[in-house]
Amino acid sequence: MITLVFFLLIGAALLFSLFLFARRAARVEGSAQALVEAKQALHALQGELLPPGLVDRIFARQDFEFVASSTPRQVQELFLRERKKVAACWARQVRAGVLRLMNFHLGQARFYAQLSLATEMKLAVNFAALLLACRVMQFALYLGGPFAAPGIVARTVGNAARLCETSEKSLAFLDPSGLDALSKDSARHPAAS
Amino acid sequence: MNFVTKRMDVQAAADDMRRRTLSQIRRPLDRLIYLASLRDYNTGVYYHDGLASRFSEDAVCEALSECHREVFRQLFLSSLEDLVAQLEGYADSTNAAPADFIAAWQGLEPYRVSVPAETDSVSAGFFFSNLKVALAILQSRLHVRRAPRPNAWRQPSLGQ
Repeated sequence: MITLVFFLLIGAALLFSLFLFARRAARVEGSAQALVEAKQALHALQGELLPPGLVDRIFARQDFEFVASSTPRQVQELFLRERKKVAACWARQVRAGVLRLMNFHLGQARFYAQLSLATEMKLAVNFAALLLACRVMQFALYLGGPFAAPGIVARTVGNAARLCETSEKSLAFLDPSGLDALSKDSARHPAAS
Repeated sequence: MNFVTKRMDVQAAADDMRRRTLSQIRRPLDRLIYLASLRDYNTGVYYHDGLASRFSEDAVCEALSECHREVFRQLFLSSLEDLVAQLEGYADSTNAAPADFIAAWQGLEPYRVSVPAETDSVSAGFFFSNLKVALAILQSRLHVRRAPRPNAWRQPSLGQ
């Protein structure tokens, strides 16, 4: 009887350790997923949503003036409707990208990048301010249309670009050059790795 | 084939395409439609017989994809006024009646298959939206041309 209980306990202990191991593996996978998502969000913001070419084209006053001066009223209305739709979609995606980056920084970044508490606090405040600015911009676009608030758009884009730069630095260890630097660093200080 | 050799092939094929073919097509819109026509809609793979005789299929596909992205970017950065002029020029070059061309493009929206595969949704949406407005502008111009001048429709009275 005692032997049976003993083996049952060993079996239970083994099952429990397997469970812990599985949970740990899932967490590592989830972290990798968070890293990939953060990198994708950064890439989308820097490569697709924030480059001056795109922003300048969406909010080009030159287009508005051309339509206003040479087309009938229905076409002008269509143009404003269409441009407003594109601008709203752009603003929504910028905010979503910033939100994804912020979630990564709040939840995961400290495990990978050596961020000090002060830097983390500063980043959190900057993210919150930027999200608020995005909301204000969305509201301005909704109320006044795409050509009503060029100042708000320019400021938000500038702030988002600066935050992306900071974020890029903290994710730099994912780049091949960053990995090289890391491996050199660990070779120099083997005890630290 | 290693990465460097393949990259060199891609560059050479893209340069060839730019020099021999694309430089002969005046408008970026025409270039975009031409490059999109080289892509198989079912697989997304680009084909070009002339280039395929000198380069590998992979290199040709990548080179054409690169040219496609380049032309899209060029067109994307043009002003609405410029796009309207290009669309008008393209419509003229098809020899279709302007009204039929506009009706077909507004109904079928064939331009939706003209963008490169990796285009992000905002850029593609912006391009489609601009083309929609450009078509509306062409249509309004057509109406103005067709509309009779105030006195043109009056038959001269024999008694006067």
